[in-house]
Amino acid sequence: MRAREAAALIWLLALLSIAILAPLLAPADPRQPIGPALTPPGPGARLGTDSLGRDVWSRMLYGARISLTAAMGAALLATSLGVAAGLLAVSAGGALDALVVFAANAALAVPGLLLALLLVAGLGPGLPAVILAVGLSGAPGFARVARTLFLQVRESGFVDAASALGASLPWVATRHLLPNASPNLLALAATHYAWSFIGTTTLTFLGLAGDPSLPEWGAMLNAGRADLLSAPWLSLLPGLAICLTILAIYTLTEWLARLSTPRSLTLPRSL
Amino acid sequence: MVPAPGRPAPGALSALIIRCLHGLLTAWAAVTVTFFGLRVGAGDPLAGILAQGLASPQQAEALRHSLGLDRPLPAQYLSFLTGLLRGDLGRSLYTGLPVLRVIGGQLPSTLALGASGLLVAVVGGLALGTLAAWRKRSLWGRSAASAAALATALPVSFTGIVAILAFSTLLSGRAASSLYALRHLALPALVLGIASAGAIGRVVEAGLSQSLASPYVAAARARGVPSGLRLLWHALRPALPPAVSLIALEAAYLFSGTVVTETVFSRPGLGRLLIGAILQGDYPVAQGVVALAALFYTLSHILADLVSLGLDPRLRGKG
Repeated sequence: MRAREAAALIWLLALLSIAILAPLLAPADPRQPIGPALTPPGPGARLGTDSLGRDVWSRMLYGARISLTAAMGAALLATSLGVAAGLLAVSAGGALDALVVFAANAALAVPGLLLALLLVAGLGPGLPAVILAVGLSGAPGFARVARTLFLQVRESGFVDAASALGASLPWVATRHLLPNASPNLLALAATHYAWSFIGTTTLTFLGLAGDPSLPEWGAMLNAGRADLLSAPWLSLLPGLAICLTILAIYTLTEWLARLSTPRSLTLPRSL
Repeated sequence: MVPAPGRPAPGALSALIIRCLHGLLTAWAAVTVTFFGLRVGAGDPLAGILAQGLASPQQAEALRHSLGLDRPLPAQYLSFLTGLLRGDLGRSLYTGLPVLRVIGGQLPSTLALGASGLLVAVVGGLALGTLAAWRKRSLWGRSAASAAALATALPVSFTGIVAILAFSTLLSGRAASSLYALRHLALPALVLGIASAGAIGRVVEAGLSQSLASPYVAAARARGVPSGLRLLWHALRPALPPAVSLIALEAAYLFSGTVVTETVFSRPGLGRLLIGAILQGDYPVAQGVVALAALFYTLSHILADLVSLGLDPRLRGKG
């Protein structure tokens, strides 16, 4: 583990504890004004106040909780739908497999962000709609890769052996396909979390969370734009938090991928 | 068998036809996903209008009938498809204007942003990738590689805000209004383009590193070909096909980028039209914008396929 990866891990662990402990750590209610509007960062309010006089530090802390949870919800939805569809396709095979592949490809004909926007348009704006939309629009891509991973497992001999011994389809799916594909699925899910995080914060940035007072990083970044020149910290802080989180997830997933790659594949570049 | 020189390979035409048919199928899928995606959660497309008190229940009922919303879903889908073929996307619920005209009004602004963003992406990507591969060991090369990686990772919403801040701080007060064009086209295009430039740069870097290490570049060096020519002619040319097909794909992704960029820079365009329509519940407009964007996306996929077929003869036989 190099310094960069250690830093990424520390940042994510810190965020995780902040997300859990936000009510204990936050000095003020993130939705109630504590003083005059647009106070610069200083002794009164650690990171200043926003245009409605609310404490930015408390909003950032609660923002970690809401942003990370929203992305987690979307990622879990996409992962479980994708794994279920991939597993179904590979263990049933035949027409069902073709149907899953066709449906996934059809959904992928619309770019991810547009599909998510479309789903929000159907569901009506709001944070639950954003989570649902990002999760659903991420599922087809996940299903396609998950299917490939399950196929790789099925091609190995022991699945044929189990079937020959009379193992039922559900048994093969849950006892052979799922456990043997799970390390790769886990790495895929980690990458997908970054995608979900970008997706949810982008949609909330576009104002689709509905509630403008929501202490969520994307919504805060959007709200801060109104006072960009007089109070730049209002948008820079949540923006920086979003960027650092994305970079940290990318760094860690690259590290995980390198760990799981056989050593023979990572020859020195000079060759 | 060696194909006769100057004649297309036997598989080329059938490969072309297969790609075009596949493209048509994808376009149909995209339009279908648009239609049903919009209706996945919606109980009532007019709920927004009713909630805002813009229409009485009787008026809403009449509107529902005139929009055909009281007909079964398959019938609505069919009339959406036939309307699309005739170029009729319905009317906006709010202004009553035809959706195609509303879109046409916003299209030039988004096209200008997208085209200049693509220019930034291509020039920036080529420059970053070439620098990173050619000067791999130097500080310049390493910073170009990290810049490319960073550019792909950072969201447009953040880079846009940093760009606005930097621009206003550097040029505070001084002739800010005479730089209107810079603020309203160059800056958004730069922000939009850099995100794609990173991805293009990484592909160029990977291809160029490979070809720079290849025997034919070493042979060119042994023949005494000057280093600049060696880089541009011998090494860069074989590295280009994957970059070119990526550029066509990035052109499609740029539309998603313009949605965010237009919001960051408060710039009119299709992206803002779409967001506004979603927030208002103006479903014909939202549906029209996404359907057109999805068709554009499909078209650039086909274009990317055709370009790579043209550039890389090895693909032609495979269909």
